[in-house]
Amino acid sequence: MAEATVTSAPTRSTSVSGWLRVYGVYAALVVVLVINLLFTDNFFAVDNFRIQLVQVVPVLVVALGMALVIGTEGIDLSVGAVMALAAAVIPLWLGYGVVPAVLVALVAGLVVGLVNGGVIAFIGVQPIVATLALMVGGRGIALVISGEQLKSIQNQDLRSLGTAEVAGIPLIVVIAAVLAVLVWLLVSSTTYGRQLVAVGGNRRAAELSGLPVKRVLITAYVLCALLASIAGVIGVARAGASVPSTLGNLIELSAITAVVVGGTPLSGGQVRVWGTVAGALLLQLIDATLIKHDVPDSYSQIVQAVIIVIAVFVQRGKGVRS
Amino acid sequence: MPMSARAPRLRLLLSGLAILALTGTAAACGKAEDTGGGSSDSSAAQQVVEPADQNGAQCDLTQYGGGVKKLDLKDATVGFSQSEKEDNPFRIAETKSIGDAAKKAGVKKYIHTNAQTQLSKQISDIQDMLAQGVDALIVAPLNSDGLEPALNAAKAKGVPVLTVDRKLTSGACDTYVSFLGSNFTEQGQRAADQLIKGTGGKAKVAILLGASGNNVTTERTKGFVDEIKAKGSGIDIVAQQTGEFARDKGQQVTEQLLQSNPDITAIYAENDEMGLGALAAIQGSGKQAGKDVQIYSVDGTRNAVQEIVNGDYNGVVESNPRFGPLAFQTLEQFLSGEKVYENIVIKDTEYDPDNAEDGLSSAF
Amino acid sequence: MTDDVRPPVLQAQGITKVFGGVRALSGVDFALGEGEAHALVGENGAGKSTLIKVLTGVHRPDEGQVLLGGEPRSFGRPLDAQQAGISTIYQEVNLIPLMSAAQNVYLGREPRTSFGLVDTRAMERDARELLDSYGIDVDVRRPLRTLGLGAQQMVALARAVSIDARVVIMDEPTSSLEPREVRTLFEVIARLREQGIAIVYVSHRMDELYEVCEKVTVLRDGRLVHTGDLADLPRLELVAMMLGRTTSEMSGSGVTEFGEEAHTQAAEPVLVAEHLTRKHEIEDVALSVRPGEVLGLGGLLGAGRSETLKAVAGAMPLDRGQVSLDGKRVRSGSVPAAIRAGVVLLPEDRKAEGIIPNLSVRENIVLAALPRLSRFGFTSRRKQDAVVRTMMERLHIKASSPEQPVAELSGGNQQKVMIARWLAMSPRVLLLDEPTRGIDVGAKAEVQALIDELAREGLGIVLVSSELEEVIEGADRMVVLKDGAVVAELNGEEITEERLMAALSTETALPADPGAPPEEASRG
Repeated sequence: MAEATVTSAPTRSTSVSGWLRVYGVYAALVVVLVINLLFTDNFFAVDNFRIQLVQVVPVLVVALGMALVIGTEGIDLSVGAVMALAAAVIPLWLGYGVVPAVLVALVAGLVVGLVNGGVIAFIGVQPIVATLALMVGGRGIALVISGEQLKSIQNQDLRSLGTAEVAGIPLIVVIAAVLAVLVWLLVSSTTYGRQLVAVGGNRRAAELSGLPVKRVLITAYVLCALLASIAGVIGVARAGASVPSTLGNLIELSAITAVVVGGTPLSGGQVRVWGTVAGALLLQLIDATLIKHDVPDSYSQIVQAVIIVIAVFVQRGKGVRS
Repeated sequence: MPMSARAPRLRLLLSGLAILALTGTAAACGKAEDTGGGSSDSSAAQQVVEPADQNGAQCDLTQYGGGVKKLDLKDATVGFSQSEKEDNPFRIAETKSIGDAAKKAGVKKYIHTNAQTQLSKQISDIQDMLAQGVDALIVAPLNSDGLEPALNAAKAKGVPVLTVDRKLTSGACDTYVSFLGSNFTEQGQRAADQLIKGTGGKAKVAILLGASGNNVTTERTKGFVDEIKAKGSGIDIVAQQTGEFARDKGQQVTEQLLQSNPDITAIYAENDEMGLGALAAIQGSGKQAGKDVQIYSVDGTRNAVQEIVNGDYNGVVESNPRFGPLAFQTLEQFLSGEKVYENIVIKDTEYDPDNAEDGLSSAF
Repeated sequence: MTDDVRPPVLQAQGITKVFGGVRALSGVDFALGEGEAHALVGENGAGKSTLIKVLTGVHRPDEGQVLLGGEPRSFGRPLDAQQAGISTIYQEVNLIPLMSAAQNVYLGREPRTSFGLVDTRAMERDARELLDSYGIDVDVRRPLRTLGLGAQQMVALARAVSIDARVVIMDEPTSSLEPREVRTLFEVIARLREQGIAIVYVSHRMDELYEVCEKVTVLRDGRLVHTGDLADLPRLELVAMMLGRTTSEMSGSGVTEFGEEAHTQAAEPVLVAEHLTRKHEIEDVALSVRPGEVLGLGGLLGAGRSETLKAVAGAMPLDRGQVSLDGKRVRSGSVPAAIRAGVVLLPEDRKAEGIIPNLSVRENIVLAALPRLSRFGFTSRRKQDAVVRTMMERLHIKASSPEQPVAELSGGNQQKVMIARWLAMSPRVLLLDEPTRGIDVGAKAEVQALIDELAREGLGIVLVSSELEEVIEGADRMVVLKDGAVVAELNGEEITEERLMAALSTETALPADPGAPPEEASRG
């Protein structure tokens, strides 16, 4: 897949750090693949790639929404809580069938997105603070709804969502791919997408140009929460159980890392959809590499911390506006 | 930025929507799927009265704190402080067992609090119950340290404290009377015995560790690994990775391990949830769970035992949460002036394909 | 030069300060006598702020020296200057809003009890006595932020004085004060002077200067223009010096690219704005523009010109007032509503409020017009390219391609991109705030010619420029603002520098003055 950056060419990225920022994630992906090719047993097998793709789905779907929010110079910490909420409401509505249950899960996401976006756009609360509230509160509500209990899912339709295949490709991987293409189309060639990037690039200028800044912001948070609730549904389907207390724990950090590693600056104004996809895959492959080589947990955490530090360091140059 | 006059109205609307959608409609109008079995019904559950082991120093009324009056449980107010949120079967069964035992013992009054996994709340919970005049306390400590302020207050009032499921670092017969709990190392050991037996002493095993830095993880690992070293010369531990006690993580890690080590023939999971995750992973890889790859875990939840009955799971060592009867028996002994031991180990059963069907009703 | 008998307490000699090749100050002298109130005035870029920063140790001079009490001093950092007795009171009070007034006065040097704890009672008593001695009535126990801005400023003053200040520098102290508070401030200043404390007073409000100060120093383009007794200096002359004119100088012609002839003027105005009012910014401003007319807004820095444009464009919420286009009222305080009606604003600060730096020239041009260049929410590249090509040709925008990031263009080309963004919306009225600031001479001429051309095509234009020639030659009519209110309207032949300066130097009664906007809004 060629880099289809959805903004125009990056400003003055002739330097090494500029190149790294945009293409570093693809280079890193290649490096990790080569290392595994050389040192990991059974790595180049269809089975393996299938597992990696299936496992990356929740982080990837959440990261797609996170990329939109980060593009507006915001952040959404409540995505894990949204997954928990989606997981919590599904068993309550499964009696009506899969479709209503999934719809209710999406509505839960929609509401959280509206609250986040509304608080940020109208009251002017900082995104990190506004979404922190629902990060904590949302999971609390999820636990209340679920009666603080794990519920096994017996519904075969929902369970098969986690296991079904389309032309030999796991259904959830197809769903994630479709979502990635949709988000890319949204950002690159819709009025909304271009307005989102403009709002992130210079909010005051966007306001003075008559852009519906508040609507753009709210929509971004709604889309992010909707994608998170889809990730929640997928998580429930795959585990065959609704576990609101642990589903999506700390996923916000993985998603933010994937977005940043993928070359989207935290300062907003750009959304690199394919970079985000690559970033999520990179994190997944690193995780897989560490597990396959039976690296103890404490070292895994150190490795992941180092990756985040490197990614942020590479992104650092972006903070200074010309 | 101009602040539109519509903002307050919008805020109101949003909060209304949130409450409606998140609690009101979702919970009130929902219709759960009909799952038949469902959550625990421990009326038939096995109730342990005999301890598996008792050891350590002994303690009686005169030695504890500043001395405690003799008392009949029928005239006593007993309080129970639960530590963690009741979002897992273990906690649910533990709370229920103690509540049921209190009723059965015929105490004058029974009070129960839940600290929601916050140490400060547990301290204030205990102090509140002391203020309400409890005569004896059963505490499931959230931490091995940090409850001293509350426990010292209990001691000062001459209220005996029994601790369950997590041992305190402070001294027995000083800040508490006895500790009732499982032996986690032994649980790991027993899981290893089950595995050795089930695989005929020949296997490549992957361990799904619990959360890092947790004593339960450490002890269940030590017991298992030491036992394999001692008795399972044909057994090879090929991987130890954390599944953080969570089902989805257990599933993901197992998927990865099975793919890169296709010759893994057994999984030891340090709780049932991870074991169930491993089960899903094995099934997803096209192998037959319970045959091609065997699964052993610790906990004894109904879901896992059910899988043994189904033939997809090979062994579960119970970590018994039903402290109620044993706790009240110990309290009764103590309050009547008898000596009680510092450590009282609760009997953990185990489930294997031979007894799972019969034992299913007693799983929690 | 001053022929004062008092020894100068603070002196600057031959100060030169260069920032990246630009001379902010060249060889400026400044002398402040004991107990003297000294006005420091100048327009944009005159070097007032730089001089203050040199005096207070924020900047080190490249040449020259600062003398305090006759001794050469080199302040490494602002704290050194403060400890030497030079305090600065900024327009935005820089104290701690959550602490009490007393705590703020004694911050960092609180009286202690014998146990080494803060002696709150003594602190509050001392603070009350101190404030009382200046006739300031403030509850010293209340958190600072609950006090009025004026009271906060008094607390800042009290703090300055209590650290044995010998010099107090006040930067726009009255910009957000109520008339009553202004009175108190002046009384406090009088008392400070009695104690021998010297005041440097920076303000755009001429009436205040004449009331408070005895000396004046005028800076322009980083050079000292004049220093001397204020009372001897007629207002007109002071304004002329600030603007770089002599009163006898006749207005030049042909300096700009504006055409000589007045534009055809239809009878009915396209835009009418009435009673535009926002506290501390503008007061009851009215203006109207006819199609094909260039209306200039005259005034000194801080007169409320940019604020007036923002108010008309819906970019600033109003306390009162309305804007109508072709007789139809436009919803106030809404940029989209103004744009829909055909009123668009080219903001003063291109970087902060204009361009979207990460986007291309094309995307910056089509930004506002995006919805109408889209189908079913999808952008149409074909429609965009047509608009962008037309605009780039018409405005001679020089870029390697429409896809070049706008941040890489020169200032002049960025400005043209901004104008193109608005022309793509086919506006009725164009509000131009400093359209030629910071762009090179060639681009400037092009932009001026373009303004002329657009007016001939029938657009109504409102022009704000800090360059006198530009606004005088460009405007068919001029509304003159002073301290946020309209003080004169000049038509056709009346638009000359003399008339403008005369209007700017008229005296207005002081405390009735509703308050001029803070300087920030129009500082370049």
